[in-house]
Amino acid sequence: MNVFQFLRSHKQFTLFLALALLVVGVAIFAPVLAPMDPLEAHMSDSLHAPDSRYLCGADKLGRDVLSRVIYGTRTSLTMTLCLVAVIFVAGTMLGVLAGYFGGIVDGVIMRVADMMISFPGLVLAIAIAGLLGPNMVNAVIAISAVSWTKYARLARSMVLKIKGNLYIEAAVVTGTRTLDILTRYVVPNLITTMVVTAATDIGTMMLEIAGLSFLCFGAQAPTPEWGLMLNEGRTYLAKSPWLMVYPGIAIVIVVVVFNLLGDSIRDILDPGQEA
Amino acid sequence: MRRSRKLCVLLACALVGSLLNGCGGNTDQPSGGELAIGVTSFADTLEPTEQYFSWVVSRYGVGETLVRFDEEGELAPCLAESWAVSDDHLTWTFQIREGVKFSNGDMMTPEMVKSSLERTFNLSPRAATFFEPVAMEVDGQQLKITTSEPVAILPGSLADPLFLIVNTSVDDSIFAMEGPVCTGPYAVESFSPTNACVVVRNEYYWGGDVPLDRVTFKCVDDQTTRSMALQTGEIDIAYNLKTENVVEFEGNPDYRIQKLESLRSTYAFMNQNGVLGDLALRRALIRALDKETYCSVLLEGGATSGKAPVPPTLDFGFDELSDENAYDPEGAKALLAKAGYIDLDGDGFVETPSGEPLDLEFVIYTSREELNVYAQAAQANLRDVGIRVTLNTVSYETLLDMRDAGTFDLLIWNVLVANTGDPEKYLRENWYSTSPSNQAGYNNPEVDTLLDRLAAEFDEDARRTLVMQIQQHIMDDAAAVFFGYETTYLFSNSRVTGVQMYPMDYYWLTKDVALAGVHDA
Repeated sequence: MNVFQFLRSHKQFTLFLALALLVVGVAIFAPVLAPMDPLEAHMSDSLHAPDSRYLCGADKLGRDVLSRVIYGTRTSLTMTLCLVAVIFVAGTMLGVLAGYFGGIVDGVIMRVADMMISFPGLVLAIAIAGLLGPNMVNAVIAISAVSWTKYARLARSMVLKIKGNLYIEAAVVTGTRTLDILTRYVVPNLITTMVVTAATDIGTMMLEIAGLSFLCFGAQAPTPEWGLMLNEGRTYLAKSPWLMVYPGIAIVIVVVVFNLLGDSIRDILDPGQEA
Repeated sequence: MRRSRKLCVLLACALVGSLLNGCGGNTDQPSGGELAIGVTSFADTLEPTEQYFSWVVSRYGVGETLVRFDEEGELAPCLAESWAVSDDHLTWTFQIREGVKFSNGDMMTPEMVKSSLERTFNLSPRAATFFEPVAMEVDGQQLKITTSEPVAILPGSLADPLFLIVNTSVDDSIFAMEGPVCTGPYAVESFSPTNACVVVRNEYYWGGDVPLDRVTFKCVDDQTTRSMALQTGEIDIAYNLKTENVVEFEGNPDYRIQKLESLRSTYAFMNQNGVLGDLALRRALIRALDKETYCSVLLEGGATSGKAPVPPTLDFGFDELSDENAYDPEGAKALLAKAGYIDLDGDGFVETPSGEPLDLEFVIYTSREELNVYAQAAQANLRDVGIRVTLNTVSYETLLDMRDAGTFDLLIWNVLVANTGDPEKYLRENWYSTSPSNQAGYNNPEVDTLLDRLAAEFDEDARRTLVMQIQQHIMDDAAAVFFGYETTYLFSNSRVTGVQMYPMDYYWLTKDVALAGVHDA
């Protein structure tokens, strides 16, 4: 009942949550939803225009674009969620450590962070992905390596603020173990902001992943992935625009949904913060 | 800040404009103008003896050879005016052209030709695969080259850009980054490997007026971008565009489209030092590939489907060769099962007879879009018969290194099969057991013997028979996947005149390439 009331009083959040769940549903039920095998090539139907058989047309190798877009949800969503989870956990943890312990720990962590942000993010990510070799896992690693700093800096500054509070001093005086201080008093006070940041980041991260795949540093053929599909379709833009249009629409829809969901989450959890 | 930049741009435009006007308006001046040509990056350096980088030096109108190929693919005089072979077929005499100067003004003497050739033999491991001279002697204006065995295709070999003539009297360590000093209509002004190469008129050129002041070769590796650059006028000629670009330019009087059924063969080496050492697996792999569809449907006729090393554009019995590995997916599956390749873990892909997972690494490079189509189509076809293939897309320069290191299972290769006017060297380079370029581990003593016989054979019919026999062996051994023979296109802005496609694509920028408006003024 509580849940129901909560949802009723936050209509915007409910709407976007439903849409996001729909996207997740598409990813999970891809094999049921997709009309064809996304990897099966019907070469005689190369660049087939959209019609009743191929609703969104067929690509160069005669693979169904609709099925590939649907399966692409799986790839894009898994990679994005993994990525956000990694940078959220790693960034927050490092930020908390740096902020709470200060001194040399702070120095080392924050200088590494400074190093990372002194390069343009995607360029450094391309370099890292290029060094590690192009595949999906490495793309996630590469973007994580350049994106965790935001979380670390945010967490650190909040820890510095929290650390000055009397209840922390009280906890220290009463001999509470450091781990307990961190988990009971520090982290709960900053986790909301961190979650909001992570939620609003999902869309951006999805774009970065797609961007890396577009540049051939992420998912590799024949994996159905939106960024990669855009790249493959580029050559045939004049002749078969559907190769780029549908994956493009998919990216736009999913990114918009997750961005708006992130905004709604922020409105609920953190009403004071400006957009 | 912004305003001043705008001003700069305006000023620059005005300056360029006035320059062009100056050139066009005055008929007494040698005609001028500048041109930009869109190319794919191909060379790390301009040192002609490294890899195949001499091709670039020749294509950019910088380097010239003793002998060249004409529009028909026939031998024509260039830096040598004529040539003849002695009765014992061992000594070739080249009459060196008089009055030829290098781009730094030095006179090209027969001695310098000799020392340039010696330099090539010293520095390039590929040179000896063409022929090995036992003596080179200068006699007046003549250069005599003696070999220990008869070499039928020696003049054609010297037409390969590898043997272009450089000035050895200057410090040759600068050749790599500043360009070699040669005799072509243009000389290198600046070079940056993946960005651009700028050439300027060679004031000392021997073959008449050179129409253009300066030509920039821009590396635009991406096919779509290259096509767009031609449409926006950023470049005037675009090399390496394909059938799918025809639709963008067809019917537009501002552009000229040339088409040539080329002598280029696209194939994939199969590395026999790895899992592909198993003949049954190689045979099954080739049988799984529907190459006819790749060429006619996927590439829209941009290539003729392949089966043998030498394309049907050269008469070496293409239709008479029997292909036991034609498209037959069921046969491929049966062959795999018989050889013990069975899917043990139920993932849809077979494991090797010893139970190891089978995953073939297929290396392709980026600058030729059709390679990606071949590779992905092959990947899809092989998936149907249960062979897992992972694509590895790298730059051309990396691909060369990977080939030399032998770190691949399949590696795409696109090559001119008659680089000496004849397929002999191409066959020898790739399939002779001890050739330095044969890193795929192909070794058939019979092919070696036939290649040795071919080298000394001067009779045309006998050569044809030998080439056919060699091809048949290579096909029976399933040494490589012959995907297809490409049709090449050349798109150019119609204001550029004198652009010509050659079957041996060593010549891109020639002294005939000019700007219509400027030239006629």
